[in-house]
Amino acid sequence: MKYRVILVEHEAGRLSQLAGALKIDSDFDLAATFFKAEQALGQSSVFRPNLFLVDVDDSQNLNLLSSFIDLFPQATILGTMEQWKADTAERVIEAGALGCLVKPFRTRDVLQAIKLYKRRGKSLPTRTMAFFSPKGHSGRTTMASVMAIELAKKSGEAVALIDADLQFGDVSMFFDVVPQHNVVEASHDVRLLNPATLEAYFHPVGNGVWIMGGPTRPEHAELVEANNLIDVVRMAGSLFRYVLLDLPAGFNPISLALAEFADTDILLSMIQSGHEIRHMKRSMKMFNTWGAYGKKIYPFFSGVKKCTAEQKKKIEEEFGRPVTNILPMESRITDITGSGRLMKDLPESMPYVNEVMSLANDIVMGRR
Amino acid sequence: MEGHRSIVIAVFSTSAGCGKTVTAINLAAGLAKEGYQTCLVDLDLQFGDVMGYLDMVSDVTLADAQAALEKDAASFRAEDYLTEYSCGGVSFSVLPPPREINDAYLVDVDMVAEIIQRMDNFNFIVLDLTAVFSTLNLVMLDMSTVINFMGVTDFLPSVKNYKVGYDTLLRFEYEERKICLVENMADYDRYISSKDVERLLGAPFFHRLPLDSQAVTQSIRMGRPLMFSAPLSPLTQSYWQLVGRYSNRDVNAEHLSRHDDESAQEENKPFFSWLRGRKKPESGVAE
Repeated sequence: MKYRVILVEHEAGRLSQLAGALKIDSDFDLAATFFKAEQALGQSSVFRPNLFLVDVDDSQNLNLLSSFIDLFPQATILGTMEQWKADTAERVIEAGALGCLVKPFRTRDVLQAIKLYKRRGKSLPTRTMAFFSPKGHSGRTTMASVMAIELAKKSGEAVALIDADLQFGDVSMFFDVVPQHNVVEASHDVRLLNPATLEAYFHPVGNGVWIMGGPTRPEHAELVEANNLIDVVRMAGSLFRYVLLDLPAGFNPISLALAEFADTDILLSMIQSGHEIRHMKRSMKMFNTWGAYGKKIYPFFSGVKKCTAEQKKKIEEEFGRPVTNILPMESRITDITGSGRLMKDLPESMPYVNEVMSLANDIVMGRR
Repeated sequence: MEGHRSIVIAVFSTSAGCGKTVTAINLAAGLAKEGYQTCLVDLDLQFGDVMGYLDMVSDVTLADAQAALEKDAASFRAEDYLTEYSCGGVSFSVLPPPREINDAYLVDVDMVAEIIQRMDNFNFIVLDLTAVFSTLNLVMLDMSTVINFMGVTDFLPSVKNYKVGYDTLLRFEYEERKICLVENMADYDRYISSKDVERLLGAPFFHRLPLDSQAVTQSIRMGRPLMFSAPLSPLTQSYWQLVGRYSNRDVNAEHLSRHDDESAQEENKPFFSWLRGRKKPESGVAE
């Protein structure tokens, strides 16, 4: 495909550099260049462009992005920035553009970015969902993994699952893969990365799901700073429409920071001794504060022996608030997660999968 | 331990839900039954289950102990912050975790170490830890005489975490003989054999606890250690043996002896003589 390009760049030196790169590539036809988005918006239609590269370091340009989308609905629109800025990149996607490129870039960077960002899915804000459990052994990784699969299936968009259980994460094992890179490396390198280079830190497990595994040694967890990990998560939002975070158990700097950052928190506890309901209740204090600021909080209980409406009501009475859903104990799920066959052998219809599927469906449809 | 007369047993694991708390409770109860002054410290500061599993409540917690120690170290007495658990003539002390999660966040590792150092009138201190290499847990492992390192081997990721955890302990230079590998749910019908796990770890299990989830459920429901809630369970017997291994009691003379005090004092065998596959008795770790 040949791109007919409009380039918007306020800095003259940069403009001639980028224009030069575009001119010598036969895949690109540089139709016009402008210093301001305002000029481009008024004059571009005569060139019938199908690709806009708009300097979004200029906040006026950023504000005009949605007008470009209205006027040129068929065109691909990319923001360009001198340095990676997560909030700008998020606003670019929010405006309906495809994503952002870091300057200077080569033409193949443009092609790769377009490919990656189209694979991401709709130009809508990323949904970031954190899976929290007060204690371990709650089925958290299982739920997050099944959720990733179901979200990808329902939406047809790209889904990432990041193993933030930094000491003893099991995500890679559930999918039986040995990723080349892990979350510790990504967090360490993030200042030097952009979405296209971050992509290599994710391991494809098929069917629209990518994972970022945990480190091989528990002590490496120490090397991860929460704010760097959040930068990884935000950058991943340019590559994936859904970013799922498997948190470490309990409240610690990593789980707190990620749960606070995510737009949706799924709280999970496995009913075993019965004391788990009390633990969830205590955890809610923290989440309630965030809930008041519009974060979506969904409490779940897993390992429920009889998943009936009556049982749910009983749990809710003790919990003192509504429970989003209860999940049954399924030994078949344990079998396939324990042997790494999650992607291959996840059954189409069984109560556990159906419940997670229904939540995935609600999220894809924007109902939750 | 340096300047510490008590034997400190750290109940630790690197995958959650493998029975640390139940084990810690039953070790404490068993040691108490043998006549030892025993204290159980719940160091799952945020979501500890010791109080719940023993159906106890307490006005004072670790948070209060820390506050008192910070305020006036000279007159601090650790005993003032312990709650006594008693059942069927057996009693031991419990140091509960903070009530509020916020308070758990404020717990200072050095203070906890200091509080435990000051508990010098106990024969045994049992620590119930969480499944993570946190600063607190590492300091506690350093302070411990032995690490009761638990694992359940019915789920491949758990086996991985057990192996990674064990290798990490060795890498952190905890002596091999200090780490007691305890397999839980050992007779459970599953696809990974104990032998394979031992081969993977490169070390034999110190003890195997059988599965009896009914007994455990019953114990938690009644708020009593297994010896009172399910005396005939094979798990109860197995805990009794484990207690014997730590307390140096003659395992051959066990069968739930009624003469607790005598049986506790009779034997003089080296502490680790029961460690399978190791003929040489270890020294320096007996009480």
